[in-house]
Amino acid sequence: MRHLLIGLAAFVGTTISLADEGEAPSQLADLLGAAADAGFARALEPREFVFPADHGPHPEFRNEWWYVTGNLDDEDGKRFGFELTIFRFALAPSVAESTSRWRTENVYISHLAITHVEDERFYVAQRYSRGALGLAGAQAAPFRVWIDDWSIAKRPDSDAWQLTASDGDFGIDVELRALQPPILNGIDGLSKKSAEPGNASYYYSITRLGTRGTIRIGEREYTVSGLSWLDREWSTSALAAEQVGWDWFALQLSDGSDLMFYSLRKKDGTQHAASAGTFLATNPNSSHLDADDVEITVLDTWRSPGGGAYPSKWRLAVPRFGLDLTVEPVIPDQELFTTVRYWEGAVDVDGTHDGAAISGRGYVELAGYAQ
Amino acid sequence: MIPATYRASFSYLLRHPWQLALSVIGIAVGVAVIVAVDLANASARKAFLLSMDTITGEATHQVIGGPSGVSENTYARLRVEYGVRAIAPVVEGMISVDGTSLTLLGVDLFAEQDIRSFTSQAQSADPAAPSDETLFSSFLITPGVVTTSARTAEQLGLAVGDTFDVVADGRSRQAELLATLASDASNNPDFLLVTDIATAQEWLGQAGWLSRIDVRVDDGNEAALDQLRAALPDGTKLLSAAGRTRSTVEMSKAFMTNLTAMSLLALLVGLFLIFNSVNFSVLQRRNLIGVLRALGLTRRQLLAMILIEAGVLGALAALLGVGLGIALGEHLLELVSRTINDLYFRVSVTSISVEPFSVVKGIVAGIGVALVAAAVPAIEATSYQPRLALTRSSLEHRARRALPTVTGIGVVIMAAAVLLIVVSGANLVAGLAAVFLLILGFALCVPLCVSFSSTLTAPLAQKLGGTIARMAVAGIASGLSRTGVAIVALAVAVAATIGVSVMVDSFRGSVSAWLDKTLQADVYTGALRGAMDPDLIDAIRNLEGVEDISTRKRAWVEDASGRTQLRVFDIPPEDFGGAELLDADPAEAWPAWQARDAVFISEPFAYQKSIGAGDSLTLPTDHGPREFAVAATFQSYDINASGVMMSRKTYARHYLDDTIDSLGLYLANGIEADDIVAQVENLSAGQQRLYVGSNANLQRESMRIFDRTFVITDVLYWLTLGVAFIGILSAMLALQLERAREFATLRALGMTPTQVGVMITAQTGIIGLLSGLASLPLGVVMAFVLIKVINRRAFGWQIDMSIAPSILAMSVAFAVGAALLAGLYPAYRAGQSQPAIAMREE
Repeated sequence: MRHLLIGLAAFVGTTISLADEGEAPSQLADLLGAAADAGFARALEPREFVFPADHGPHPEFRNEWWYVTGNLDDEDGKRFGFELTIFRFALAPSVAESTSRWRTENVYISHLAITHVEDERFYVAQRYSRGALGLAGAQAAPFRVWIDDWSIAKRPDSDAWQLTASDGDFGIDVELRALQPPILNGIDGLSKKSAEPGNASYYYSITRLGTRGTIRIGEREYTVSGLSWLDREWSTSALAAEQVGWDWFALQLSDGSDLMFYSLRKKDGTQHAASAGTFLATNPNSSHLDADDVEITVLDTWRSPGGGAYPSKWRLAVPRFGLDLTVEPVIPDQELFTTVRYWEGAVDVDGTHDGAAISGRGYVELAGYAQ
Repeated sequence: MIPATYRASFSYLLRHPWQLALSVIGIAVGVAVIVAVDLANASARKAFLLSMDTITGEATHQVIGGPSGVSENTYARLRVEYGVRAIAPVVEGMISVDGTSLTLLGVDLFAEQDIRSFTSQAQSADPAAPSDETLFSSFLITPGVVTTSARTAEQLGLAVGDTFDVVADGRSRQAELLATLASDASNNPDFLLVTDIATAQEWLGQAGWLSRIDVRVDDGNEAALDQLRAALPDGTKLLSAAGRTRSTVEMSKAFMTNLTAMSLLALLVGLFLIFNSVNFSVLQRRNLIGVLRALGLTRRQLLAMILIEAGVLGALAALLGVGLGIALGEHLLELVSRTINDLYFRVSVTSISVEPFSVVKGIVAGIGVALVAAAVPAIEATSYQPRLALTRSSLEHRARRALPTVTGIGVVIMAAAVLLIVVSGANLVAGLAAVFLLILGFALCVPLCVSFSSTLTAPLAQKLGGTIARMAVAGIASGLSRTGVAIVALAVAVAATIGVSVMVDSFRGSVSAWLDKTLQADVYTGALRGAMDPDLIDAIRNLEGVEDISTRKRAWVEDASGRTQLRVFDIPPEDFGGAELLDADPAEAWPAWQARDAVFISEPFAYQKSIGAGDSLTLPTDHGPREFAVAATFQSYDINASGVMMSRKTYARHYLDDTIDSLGLYLANGIEADDIVAQVENLSAGQQRLYVGSNANLQRESMRIFDRTFVITDVLYWLTLGVAFIGILSAMLALQLERAREFATLRALGMTPTQVGVMITAQTGIIGLLSGLASLPLGVVMAFVLIKVINRRAFGWQIDMSIAPSILAMSVAFAVGAALLAGLYPAYRAGQSQPAIAMREE
């Protein structure tokens, strides 16, 4: 017996995880990576980013996501982490014309996770829908991306966005206000995932979004504030054949600097040369990081009750910028048992920047570990 | 160890294999008919409920709309604005593949996991099947891709990957079988094609509309239901899924009840038969019983012996009957489900499901009746003085003495039946009970009538046919204890056929006359399912020779109280004669119907709701519930007792639906209907497939469907006759074999074998004739009750009773023929026997 929605997992898998239901990763990468449908546009050259237009969808590309993560505190100092991700996948470059509005190539998937640090509880919910009939979709003006009643949308009264998502037990409703302009990752926003041309994405981030609003857990509502991070990426490519997953770090440091780094992992566990990142110092200029710029050492691992082990504490050294950081999850179990299993959670950062002690918070994503 | 007495008893049976066989067959056939009808009924019902369950899935409620369905925007709003989850959109309709009707279930896979699991579970048996992601993505984006159960695929001769044609909404579409669905015992996705909702909308011409929204709400979560209700726009309703299934099944209740009644009729005849068989086997052993009594066996011991024997025999025969019944049920099921499909709802039954309850019922009936049948003569036989038991005359004497009492009881029972009809109002079950009481009462009166008539006609027989004839006639009365039950069984069976035949015949006549009046246009055309293509309607309207057209549309509206069928007409005034108004002046009623919010209701509908002209009726509309004036009741034989006739103008004011199902074409003088039929066929070729036929054609077709629905009735009454025939055969056989010594004496006295044979044949013929004649009054009374009481109560319509003499003549002829046939072998035997040996037997 097989579930057709498992097929959906394969699509999610291209961006989150390749370890899907026993499907051989190389096959998947083959199917969705190198042999991607010719009808889609590909990220070949750097392009000009225009905002707010680029907050909206890029339907000519196959995959796209809006990824918001954040660390929040309530008035009593209770600590929360949250993740709301909305993915768009096109199953084909186009579909046959139809009298039915349900006919579409676009599928939307969303994951919501909230970490209640004090209770050591991790809440997860997921949604999926076709991008038709207004059930799910994305638009640039006014900016809105949504699936069912979960959405990230420009507020009518200001340039800020409102992020709203809830599931029976828990929910979040916060305002996001950009404290930084978008920064372009990779080379002017072109983020190469392997040596092969076109195996790349367009990738920008807003590394600091002032966040305030409420988090609901059960009957209780917490008034929260803090910092969030937006990642936006679209592409038609997937991982290269030899890549099995990745570790992604998004760290907001106490001195005002931000660090993003993704480490693409090869089958043998070593880091792929296309791994890269961005360091945003306190001045507005960002610097591209190569694979060689960052040394990652795993200090601890956590065994998932669902099987498999995830790294659970790291030393991140970026000698080029004088960074030496220790990164540790706020609670070990922040694994999402969604259609695809992966770990994504709030982390604490400790360390030094040019010798001076700093701290920080952030989010880490670990894909391709779950078996 | 088996006591010697028991061995004596059984060895007697074994020495008379014919009789043993007939007893067993008698019980077995009786049980088989009961079991078969019960199983067929139960299986059809169960299959329907199961398939409804499968399609309904985990949905506890359903959001439904008006005739067009529910707007898809309503669904999107529920999800996006109100955050309602555990809801799934459904676009459902009937399609056909190679003439096989299938349900097309259009779903949104993303919403299915809360409601139905089977729609997204493909079988993985085929290693060559495409990968999961290809399956998923094909299902979603490729038009015409479907899945179905492996069983249905096999029945349609399809393999995964095959492309095939389906006819949906009258148009031919290309489909591809993407995968087969994994099925288990808990679901039954047979005769079901699952497809993406977009394909379903495209095929069924339902762009923008959903058939319904399935909703799953936790038990007792009234708040969630209230929230949902508040979010629904006018004209949409939230109904419980179980209630909707129930009201669909309810539609067929009258039909099922009538079918059960038919099986009870077979049971009744079966009872006579079983009684007859067992009764005989005891009666015949009265010598043995006398001997055993003389040898010192107590009454109790004897009674126990006889009852145990009957019980064992009954059990064996009942088991055989159950097996037979299951086999017979398979065939009946086909007929039952075809009728249900023609009349009510789609039910696809592939095999009979053996309900333990039906089986137990059959076995209990078999054993019980065998015991009762044995007990009566056993008590009687054991109550004699040992010596008396040996004499036959004392038996007959007793039987004759009891006649007035039995007849009196019969008359009282018949009177009770009449009383029951009068006091039970509209209760169908009481009406059926009355029918059975009538039969029972009548049966009890038959022996006296037979006795009288044979006594009275004996001298006449002497005059006409000499001594042999007189002996034949007189012998019937003198052997009443044996002949009585056989005559009753045959008479009841023949009466049942008369009753049912007269009813069906009268019904047919009424329907035919009604069709003749109702169908006023010269040519009719329409979509096989769903709505007609508007362009096609225009083209037909503009055909040369078409002077005027009428349009019609059948729409279902539904609220918590059930479903109501609207028949929407736009007809020219000259067609107003088409509906026979029963309780209003047409000159006033028609203008009201045409212009204001007034409707006509069908006679069955009026009967069901106890309303008529001058009353008002609340119907759900697309703008919420509205009250309509009932301007008149019209005559109708539409089996769905829920007809409301509405003018197109009224409909347009209350429902967002401008589709048309069918047209009636009025032709100019001198235009041949067949020419227009051909032209319409031309127009529709390659477009939408339409049915088109002249007035005469449509009448013929309607009558064909009418006849088809009564095939099941035909089959049941042939079965009843079969049961009766076995009864008369075994009675004749036992009767004549038992009289072997008597015949031997007659032979010894100088009668030739031929004369004895003729006498026996004449006697069986007369038994048949008496049965046939006795069946006439009962048959006519049954017909009357079936027509005026049962049909009225079950379906609400009134039928003009007409008795075709041929039915009566045929029935009597059948009774005589069956009896003669049953007498052939005994006559032959009696003629062949050696008088000396036969006489020595005692």
